[in-house]
Parts: sequence; structure tokens; C-alpha cells
Amino acid sequence: MSQPVVADQDRAAAKAPAAPVRQSVVSLTGITKSFGPTLANAGIDLCVGAGNVIGLVGGNGAGKSTLMRILCGAMWPTLGSISFADDDVNFADYGTGEAQRRGIRMVHQELSLCANLSVAENFFLETPGDAASRPGWRALYRARARAALDAVFPGNGIDANAEVGHLSIAERQMVEIARAAATPGVRLIVLDEPTSSLDLDRSKQLRAFIRERAKAGLAFIFISHKLQEIIDIATEIVVLRNGRTAWQGQVADASIGRLVQLMGGDANPVHQHAVSAASAQDVLVRLSGPLTSELGRDIEIVRGEIVGLAGLEGSGQKELLHGIFGADAKQNGAVTRHAQAGFVAGDRQKEGVFPLWSVLGNISIGALARRPALGLVSDRANREMAAGAASKLRLDDSRFQSNITELSGGNQQKALVARALVADTPIILLDDPTRGVDIATKQDFYRLCNEIARSGRALVWHTTEDAELLACDRVLVFAGGRIVRELTGDAITESAVVGASFAQPADRIASARHKDAPATRLGRRLVDAAPFIGLATVLAVMISANPAVASIFGLDLLLMPALSLVLVTAAQMFIVGGSEIDLGVGAFAGLVSVLGATLLYDQPWLGALALVAALAAYAGLGGVIQARKIPAIVVTLGASFIWVGLGYALQPTPGGASPEWLTALFGWSLGFMPTSIILIAAVALIVFVIDRLPLGVVLRGFGNNPTAMIRSGWSPTRHALVRYLIAGLFAGAAGLSLTAINTASDINSGNSFTLLSVAAVVMGGCSLLGGIISPVGAVAGAVTLSLIGALLGTLNVSSDFNAATQGLILIALLTLRSLTADRRSEQ
Amino acid sequence: MNALTVFSLWSQRNRWIWAAIGVLLVWLVLSIVTNRFSLSSLSGIVLSASFLTIVGIGQMFVVTTGRGNIDLSVASVITLSAFVALLTIKGQDANLAIGVAAAVLLGLAVGALNSLLVVGLGIPAIIATLATGYVLATATLLSNRAISGFAVSPALKYLASGRILGVPIMAVIAILGVAATSFALRYTVFGQLLSAVGQNRTAARLAAIRTGPVIASAFIISSVLASLNGLLLGAYIGGAFLEMGQPYLLQSIAAVVLGGTLIFGGSATAVGTLFASILLILIVTTMQIIGLPPGAQDIVQGIVVIFVLALAGRQAMTRRAPVEPAGGDVAVPAGDRQS
Repeated sequence: MSQPVVADQDRAAAKAPAAPVRQSVVSLTGITKSFGPTLANAGIDLCVGAGNVIGLVGGNGAGKSTLMRILCGAMWPTLGSISFADDDVNFADYGTGEAQRRGIRMVHQELSLCANLSVAENFFLETPGDAASRPGWRALYRARARAALDAVFPGNGIDANAEVGHLSIAERQMVEIARAAATPGVRLIVLDEPTSSLDLDRSKQLRAFIRERAKAGLAFIFISHKLQEIIDIATEIVVLRNGRTAWQGQVADASIGRLVQLMGGDANPVHQHAVSAASAQDVLVRLSGPLTSELGRDIEIVRGEIVGLAGLEGSGQKELLHGIFGADAKQNGAVTRHAQAGFVAGDRQKEGVFPLWSVLGNISIGALARRPALGLVSDRANREMAAGAASKLRLDDSRFQSNITELSGGNQQKALVARALVADTPIILLDDPTRGVDIATKQDFYRLCNEIARSGRALVWHTTEDAELLACDRVLVFAGGRIVRELTGDAITESAVVGASFAQPADRIASARHKDAPATRLGRRLVDAAPFIGLATVLAVMISANPAVASIFGLDLLLMPALSLVLVTAAQMFIVGGSEIDLGVGAFAGLVSVLGATLLYDQPWLGALALVAALAAYAGLGGVIQARKIPAIVVTLGASFIWVGLGYALQPTPGGASPEWLTALFGWSLGFMPTSIILIAAVALIVFVIDRLPLGVVLRGFGNNPTAMIRSGWSPTRHALVRYLIAGLFAGAAGLSLTAINTASDINSGNSFTLLSVAAVVMGGCSLLGGIISPVGAVAGAVTLSLIGALLGTLNVSSDFNAATQGLILIALLTLRSLTADRRSEQ
Repeated sequence: MNALTVFSLWSQRNRWIWAAIGVLLVWLVLSIVTNRFSLSSLSGIVLSASFLTIVGIGQMFVVTTGRGNIDLSVASVITLSAFVALLTIKGQDANLAIGVAAAVLLGLAVGALNSLLVVGLGIPAIIATLATGYVLATATLLSNRAISGFAVSPALKYLASGRILGVPIMAVIAILGVAATSFALRYTVFGQLLSAVGQNRTAARLAAIRTGPVIASAFIISSVLASLNGLLLGAYIGGAFLEMGQPYLLQSIAAVVLGGTLIFGGSATAVGTLFASILLILIVTTMQIIGLPPGAQDIVQGIVVIFVLALAGRQAMTRRAPVEPAGGDVAVPAGDRQS
């Protein structure tokens, strides 16, 4: 291996002139990061000076993301040090927060914006300091967002008030870049594939902006697979390969050809091509349609061959694997499968292992899955079957009883392959199986793949490590969701693969966005308008049956009982906004009602104290749910028993009395308008105002994208407490309103509100996935639902049907919603 | 390796032991303190616990499918089934077959509806089953108006409250049910598939398991067991009343969690559910004997559920924490221990 020596010389040569020019922003020295036996980074040095634009390039799995994670404080290295200017920082004290304080911002490839918030609100989340809760704070951030966007992308046409979820991917990318660039005190911006979804003009604008800001001393690290951009923008280039610095130098010394060669020239030969036993008669999979349109012919995968899927990450390789696996489920035409397929997942934690089971259980499920459900399982049969597969894999069968999570990544992967082997399918699909696996296991793995293929199976192998493609008989290179090249035999070289995957596809399919069918759009509008249509219909029917309803007195009488449900709905809406559901909210309102009619009436101070204690307990529940990561539904269901129990203990039978001031609070009248309507409107207004405050924005942010919120430095537990406190205040107000309206209390009076509040929230347009607060819709829904009883009475239907009507409305709405769901915005 | 570590390893695999120890301790303490507990009083508690066990087993299947799935319609199913039993059997042993068939059909229908909503339409299980429960509540009100009398078939009555050699028949039924469930979970393909789906649904799908039918069958089992339980419970109390199934909602979930079934899914223990049912009934009975008001009983049950969950939550978190670095080295001592 002569390569490191060359690299060292180059590095020395490159460093000498660069170092004294500018003041250093940050430098990493000797960064080594190991994952088990694998070295993701090995002794990497990186020095970023003010005004530098460093182009960071490398093939898949070269260690770029690991290095950037370490730089941004999201990961600690195994060895190495970091220093800012002349200030050495201990990694133990270094984290994402510290990195941000020191002016490092990163624009992640998987975007970290809250899709349910506006552009301006997303700017607020990143730099919340200036948002004192005074009116007009939004205007400040709107102006800031507009200025930032215009500075980077002139003529972008992005509305700062637009919800991010409604923006195109390119627009979101622009927002995220502008947000990072506009941060006060920023000194280094890391851009991870910033132009992957931008068109050429926007990409030019971005590069012009980078050039301009770099002159002013801002530093950039620019990661891109588009090498011409790197050559265009960078002042220095760092090439990583297999976790090491392959080359580092001035851009003048680099060319696209040289970079491609550096990224993937020679590698340790993975495999020598055996003569393929493939027989053309036995076609197992056929690929056709738009997928292969670039090639102009169908592709057939036959018994006995290994077919590699290559290309830049996310170019359609995974989609093809899943397409082959699920081909019999839906006939989509592009993929036809003629035999059973087994799947070996590379993302072991998420898609592979069953963490509660032993190694043996994890292997034998492959065969069990294809047996009738009532068949019997025998440990001995499983063991014999698994032993056969394990011996091929050199997986020690004395480990069969160990829990799968005790094994190293490589051995876990062997178990997953063994699972596919015992399933005994003619096709085996491999989804980047060697990710994070040590080199020795990898070698075992390549040998095994070869054996499996020669035994008459077809292997379809998606890999992100280009060197592994040398183990394949055939390689399909993807770009932009299509197969653009087919390489066979000796034509399979790393440079050929790299070259083909960097070729831009003739037409990008990204522009061909999926358009909604008109029926779906109509359905969605209908769902959105449901609470208002429902309310109008119910009122119309009731007024036509009994015109007296339309009077002020009539409306008041009808709507006053709805007030309590409206308040409980407001409470539930904040919980649902955090993607949880409270099954105890009605019982809590009942408890507060009892407290109001007993303690608060007899001993006002003690009563007030009890109310505060109840509220604290309710908010604390939210904190416990978040801190212990336990299901809110069960906890709140358990809590509902506590609330009801406390209520019973205080007041075994309905009774008590409402304090005078409390009755007066709900009993006034303006004469020209029903009091109930004013109060209900007031509740909607209060919810609306809270939601518009910075606090409301943060709560919605947590409901939509907690990861992004934590990345921006917000505390999840504290906001869970606040969320439940707000909900508790509304539920408490609901309880007091029950006491005032009924001038007595009954612990069971709130129970029916629990489901109704969930139904009202769903009717109002809130997603159970969280992140949406819609005060007007939910209030309209709550009023509609509380009028159902009166409506049935008007129609002479027994009140027995009340519950069923409400339940069916909920089912109907959720069904309609699931059928018209806007999948894209929910991702 | 001393006995304590052996036990702690063993108890990690057999989490039902904690509920069993709980039963033993509470019963011993009560016997010593009050002098009122004897084997015969225990048999009364076991009789009550048998009803809870049957619902709990059904709930356990649903919880085991993972993703926080819970069947909230069991309470309504129990009540409605008791009413349907009164309507179909009318106190005649001759109508018993029709009554049992009606109860099974009711369970199948509700289970199928829940499955359709949860599996077919992707509606979260709690919302779907809550809504189903509301529809059933109306059906209960209607059947409440339709019943003419509270006559119970003698055969069913004997089944629900009779004893053979001092052992309640219901307890025998519950224990047989627990044994059958344990067998199904451990030694049938279905049990393994259910566990796989509950542990990691994506991995299960990629291992070629058809997750939809597995989840649907859990909901159907839950509804059918709740329905049969309603039939027997109605016979035991000699009729039916509105809200009679209500206590079984929280108690069934509590029995499942307390018994050692993981609330996050993937691992179930029928024996644990049995012991936890006995423990819960023991606690409730104790509170009644001490003379605590009904409200306090609710409070204690609520606290027990939240407390157990808070503990179990941490357990699950530490166990699921990634063992990413140096996983290979950790495995070696584990192998040594075994040889």
C-alpha cells in the first residue's frame, strides 16, 4: 500500500501555503472513529480557515457523514482532538449545543424543518432569542426569513408565511440553507448535498452566495457528488476513501477525472469472477417499463447469478429491492417475479432483528413465516435446520441461545442471511448487508454469496460500497430512479460504476410529481369542511323543526351545555397536537367539577389549593410520560381511575353547590347575543392566541418533528410538562363550567367527554400524528357533537342512539380521512 | 455463579414469577394479619380472578401485536354479550347452544370490525376500538330495553359459579385457557409470528410474514374471549346491568402489564396474566375488607398501573438501547458462560 505515503506528501504540500493566509476557524486533528472493528474515520486531519470553502468528496461509506457528525458535536470520536482558533476543546465538553454556540451550523441532507410550521416560524425555532412574546414577533422573523432567502436565492418567490409542508423539496432545501446562513454569529456552514434537489440556476445562485460570503470570512464545507460544482466553488478539496484522507489539496491541482480516480481507483480485490453458472432459460425476475427505458430493453435476472445494484444513494436501488419483494402483492408492471423471494436487511436494528429473541429464534422465523399458522414448532427441528445454514456461514452454533443483540453487527448479519437460507427461496434480496460489518466477516460474506449463487439461486444485491460490486456477475447502475447502465463481467470496475452513477440521467423524474386525483382532493375538502357542514346541518334541522331554537334564549339553552365539551376539546387538542391522546381528560374535568362544588364552596382557600394540586398532578403526568417514554394512552387511562376515585372519595353521590361567583362567571348576559356563543368564541380565541405565541409554535414543532426540535436545542420534557399544564387548565375550566352550569357536581359528568373530545379534535382537522392545532374547526366539531343528543330528540329518535351516532361519526371521519390521506405531507 | 444471579437470569426470561410472588406475599401477610384468609377465601378470589383472566388473555394478544395497540372495546363487548345471552337463552338450558353461538358470533363480528378499522384502514387501535365501544353501547341500551327477565340457564349458572371438590369450575376453565394459550404462544407457528410482528413489524414483513392477518386474529381473539366472558359473567351475577363490563377495561390492561407482558409488544406470558389477575383481585378484595371506599379502590388501581408502567418503561429502554460498540467482544464471555 503506497497510497498513504502519497497522500501525506500531498497533504504536506497543500498545507504549507494555505496555513498562514487566514485565521483558523476550527481544526480537527487525528480523528479516528471506530464502530466495533470497523474504522469509519482513521486519523483524519481537517483544518478550516476563515473564508475557506472546502469541498469534501468521497464514495459511499467513505466516512464523510461520520466526520461531519463529529465536527457538529453529534458524535464523539474514538481518538483525536478539536480546537477553535487557538482554543483546545475537550470532546467530553463538546456537543451539538456547544458547536452551535461556536458558530457551526449544518444543513442536513435529510432536512430538519418542521413541515407543519411556516417558513418564518422555522426561522424562529433556530434563533428564538429575539421573540419576546410581544405582538408582532412573527413580523420580525418574516422579515428576517425574507431577507435571508433573498440574500441567497434572489427571486425565489417563497412566501415566508407558507407552511413548509406545502413547499417543494427544492424550496425546503432553500429555506434550510438560508436559515443556516442567516444565523447570527455563524462562522462555518456545513452543506451536505445542498444542490441535490436544486436546479442549475438555484445551484449557481447558491455558489455565488458562498463565494461572496467566503470573501467576508465565513467558512464553508461543501459536500457534493456533483464534482463539477466542487471544482467550481471550492478553494480546497478533501477526498476521503475508506475512512482515510486519500488526497487533500488546492482546487487548482484537481480535476474531475483525478477526483473520480482518487475516490475509487484500485481497491482490495473483493472477488475473482467465477464462471457464471447462469442459465438463460430460468428467468426469476423481469424488469421492464420506465425503469429500464434508458437501456431500451428488458432486464432478466436468472438462476445462479449475482446482480448488483449501484449508483448514488437514493437513486432507486432500494425501491427496486422492495419492488421485487412485494411484486406479487401489487402488479405494477415494471417488475415481474416468478419465484419466492427472501429479504436480508442491512438496517439490522430497524428492519432486521427481533430484539427479544435468541439467535436461533431469529434464524428459524425465516422458515416458520412460510408455514401454516397452526403448525407446531419444534426446537430440535429448528436447531437442525438452522445448524445447516449456520455452518455454511461459519456462525458458531453454540451461540444459538444467546440473545441476538449480544452479537456483533457482523454476526447479526450472518444470522439474517441464515434466516433467508432456511426460508429456502430461489431469490435472495440483499439490502446493503455489509453496512458496519468488519472486514473478516465481509470476506466470509462474499465467499458465501458466491456459493449461494452457484447453488442455483439468484442474488440481487444493493450495496453502498462500490468496491463490493466486484463480487457481482452483473451490475445495474441507477441514476434518478432508473437503470442507466448495465455492466457485466470484466467491465465491472469501480471507476466504471462511479462514472456511470455520476452521469446525469437524460430526464429527471423528480419533476414529474404525482398529482392528486380530483376525487381525492374533493374528498379531502369535504373532510376539512365536515365540522362546519355538520354544524350548519344540525342547526338547520333543529330550527326548521322548532323555530323557537333560533331565538337568543333558545340558542343559549341549546349551546350552554356545549361549552364544557368545547373546553375539554381544547384540552385534548393540545395533547393530540403532541401526537398523544388523553383518555383521562373527561374524568379530570369531572374531578375538578367535584372539587368546585365541594371544597371550593365550603372552604375556598383549601379548594383553590386542591385545584392547584390537581393541576400540578395532571401536568406531572405529562412529564412522566415523556421522561419514561411510556404510552400516554395507558397512563392516562390509569390516571382516569385516579381522578374518578378521588371524586368518589370526596363526593360519593352527585350533589354539592356552585360558589356564587362561579355561577355568575357563566351566568351573565349581554342581552343581544347568547352568552354561550360569546363564551365558546372566547375559548376558540384563547386557543388561537396560545397557538400563535412562540410557545404554541414550539409545541406544534414538537408534535411534528421532535428530532429537529432537539437538534435546534429545545427540551422535550419541559415542553411535555407545559403542554399538559395548558391542557389541564382547559380541562379544569371545563370542570368548573360543569359545576356552574349544573349548580352541582357529579364525578361521572365528564366521562362522556373523553371520546367526544377526541372525535371533535379529529373532526376539526387535527391529525392524530400531531402537530396541528385548529381551534375553529375543533370547536365547531365539539358543538356539533354535543348537539347530536338534542338533534335526535328533535327527530324523535331514542337517545339510546346517541352514543352509536357519535361513534359512527368518528369512524366515518377517520375512514374518509385515511382514504384521502395526503401521504406526502405526513411523512 | 451464586443462586441469586441464577434466579435473576431466570426471572428475566420468566417475568410471571413477580406476579406470583406478589400473590404469595399479599396472601401470606393478609392471613397472618387478619386471620380471616384461608384456602377457601383464596378460592373465592380465584373465582373472581378467573373472569378477569379470560378478558386479560384476550387483551394480552392485542397488546402483543405492538405499537401501543390496546383493545378498549372489551368492556362494551362484555356488557353487550351478557345482555345478548339473556335475550337468546331466556333461562332455558335448551337454548344454551344458541346462546353460546350468539356470543361467539358477537365476538367474531366485533373483532372483525376492529380488525377492519385497524388493519384495513390504518386507524390507531385505541381510537378504533373506542369508537366501536360507543356503537356497542347503543346496542347494549337497546337490548336492555328488549329483555323480559333476568332468568339464567341453570347449566350456565353451574358452570360460572359451581365448584368441583371445592375448586371453582371457572378456575379450571381459566387455567385450561391459560395452558392452551401458553402452548399456542410457545409451540405454534402463530405464537412465533405474533411475537415477531410485535417486536419489529418491518422486520416481520421483510421476513415474509403476512402481518395483517396476524394482527387481525389478535383482535378477533380478544373480542371472542371478552364475549364468552360476558356470557359467563352474566350467569355468575344472575343477569346483566349497564356498565357491568367497565371495571374490566383498566383491570385487563393492568393484568397484562403486571403479569410481565411487554406493553410495547412482542412478548406475552399467559401465566403472568393469570397471577396478575389474582393479585389485582386480591388487592381489590383486601381494600373491600379493610373498608376503603370504592373511590380509594379506583385510586389504588390507577396508581398500580402507572407505577408498573413507569418501571417497565425503563426496563424496556435499557434493554433496547443499542449495543453498538464492541458488540463482538461482549458476545465472547456470553459464549464462555454457556460452555
